[in-house]
Amino acid sequence: MKIAAILRQVPDVVEELVIADDGRSLAEDEVMYVTNEADEHALEQALILKGRHGATVTAVSVGGDEARDALATAVAKGADEAVYVPVPFGDRGDNHRLAAHLAPAMKEGGYDLVLTGFWSADQLDAGLAGLLAAHLSLPYVGGLVSVAVDASTKKATVRKEFPGGRVGVMELDLPALLGIQSAEQPPRYAPVSKVMQAKRTLQAKELGGSFPKEDGVRIEKLLKSDPAVRAEMLPGDAKAVADQIVRLLRERGIV
Amino acid sequence: MSLPSPVTGVETAGTREDFATGFLRRLYKLPDGERILSCLQCGMCTGGCPLGYAMDYGPRKMIAALKAGRVDDVLKSESIWMCVACYNCTYRCPSRVPITDRMIAALREELLGRGVGVPAELQAAFEKTVRYGNPFGESPKKRDAWTKEAGVDVRVLGEGDSADVLWWVGCFPSYNKRNRKDTVGLARILNALGIDFGILGSDERCSGDLRCTSVGEVGLFNLLYEHNSQELGKRDFGEVLVGDPHAFNALSKEYPRLGTPLKVKHYAQFFEERLSELTPLIKKEMRVKVTYHDACCLGRRSGLYEEPRALLEAIPGLKMVEMPRNRENALCCGGGGGGMFLDSFIWERTRVPLPMQRVQEAAKTGADVLAVPCPLEISRFEDAIKTAGLEGRLRVREISDLLAEAMGLTGGM
Repeated sequence: MKIAAILRQVPDVVEELVIADDGRSLAEDEVMYVTNEADEHALEQALILKGRHGATVTAVSVGGDEARDALATAVAKGADEAVYVPVPFGDRGDNHRLAAHLAPAMKEGGYDLVLTGFWSADQLDAGLAGLLAAHLSLPYVGGLVSVAVDASTKKATVRKEFPGGRVGVMELDLPALLGIQSAEQPPRYAPVSKVMQAKRTLQAKELGGSFPKEDGVRIEKLLKSDPAVRAEMLPGDAKAVADQIVRLLRERGIV
Repeated sequence: MSLPSPVTGVETAGTREDFATGFLRRLYKLPDGERILSCLQCGMCTGGCPLGYAMDYGPRKMIAALKAGRVDDVLKSESIWMCVACYNCTYRCPSRVPITDRMIAALREELLGRGVGVPAELQAAFEKTVRYGNPFGESPKKRDAWTKEAGVDVRVLGEGDSADVLWWVGCFPSYNKRNRKDTVGLARILNALGIDFGILGSDERCSGDLRCTSVGEVGLFNLLYEHNSQELGKRDFGEVLVGDPHAFNALSKEYPRLGTPLKVKHYAQFFEERLSELTPLIKKEMRVKVTYHDACCLGRRSGLYEEPRALLEAIPGLKMVEMPRNRENALCCGGGGGGMFLDSFIWERTRVPLPMQRVQEAAKTGADVLAVPCPLEISRFEDAIKTAGLEGRLRVREISDLLAEAMGLTGGM
């Protein structure tokens, strides 16, 4: 079995995001990148399946130079192959273009499963896995919290989480595209020494070709969110605060 | 040598001996690692271990099993994650076996390499430290944000800059809101003494001790060491001043061993040496009864028992009382060796948490204040005081904070 996990590099919001002078993009020099959290779960789910079925896992890392570091980490965690997909700064976050760019390589790779995060922190449009599925005319389901594969029948049984904590169990024919919400267990840890070793010996294939210029999403303007209305602190001791809470609840007709 | 599969941890009988032999060979090659072979099995280590009662493999049994080649049995034990680097075992061992810094570290390193059984909170702290240089996942750029609250000038030393004293601020004192108050106090004391000092600012990263020395993430320690030693090398300074005993441990013991000799002082030593200049600046009498908690990395690990006490005794009106377990017998707060990030793991497996036992001991002395020389102990003991119902009876304070108050420097804090 062959599994691909797509890892997108997204702006790390631990650092403040700075809007560039054009008012429509982030200031490139100020952005620090991190692997999209849901994509980390997609890789973990792929590695779990590898543990169960002895699959070959290909990590496909998308973005700038940082994407190479994400590949080293993926290999240190147990990925067998690494593919680097450079994406120009201005094109990041556009999943329509990314799907069009990745589709031929995903087809050529002959993967039984392509896993990626159900969402990404910088996505401007629809989910990547669904768009890729449309390009490849393959089944897709997203929002998954577990994946089980029956290699003999070439079917996958997946659990999808619905709002309100309800879970649906579905079956798909392989090959398929899956949007992972969370892996069955938290992403594993790769010790730094292993990551460093993987960095030194990393042999990543690079996906060449120019990024498709088909119509995608166009950003008109980027704005910082307005600070929310400040919280009001209720002064006084416990009794005084309790009195005020009761008064507020009555005033608002809640009790 | 073949290693067990990192995914399943399953191995065949044929590889077991090879793996154990290889592991032991690596362990014996660590600094003083071969001392394990001279273990007498006297049991001083397990007897002195504050959490030994909850371990299926205490240090003595671990050593016996390792020497018998039963590495796998030890690796299956959760006891490996129960060590909080209090150095009781290391301190008491007549054969000077480096139990905390090398044996436990090597076992944890092995488990980290396999990616199995690493407690989740600790894993998260590692990941954040790799990425941001601090275990909280805070922005590295904001490391010196506290200087804006200081009320005195705190110079950030750039490349090529020099100062008499380089102040290694540390992660907790830089980022933790409660600790930052004490950091400001320390800055004001340095300023009042007219010390020519500076900090590394956003070029400083975790020193590495807290999560690496006994914790076993050796690769992470090396990464941090390389960054920090390079940044230190770009500045010109005489002494390094630290407030966190864990950073003191790393900078004074591990960094020189790896080729970065530093003249490191904890602030308790640094100020004690300057008591004659400090005493005239103390303006306020403080009528408080204080008991002092010896931090493990200062006390048992470094033998610094009297300097912190001398500083406290320099404050007029302050009355010192000792807890029954003091100096080399002090009970650990449970925060070292990654313990800050192992609380839920350890507490599920133990009875009364260590900080809770310690604040109860402190309260029994009748003290109003539990004085500490370590930023980690502030939050650990403050939480324990709340849980133990001792609020209003006992307060936890950094020695530097008490000193700053006595010097009239705590205005606007």
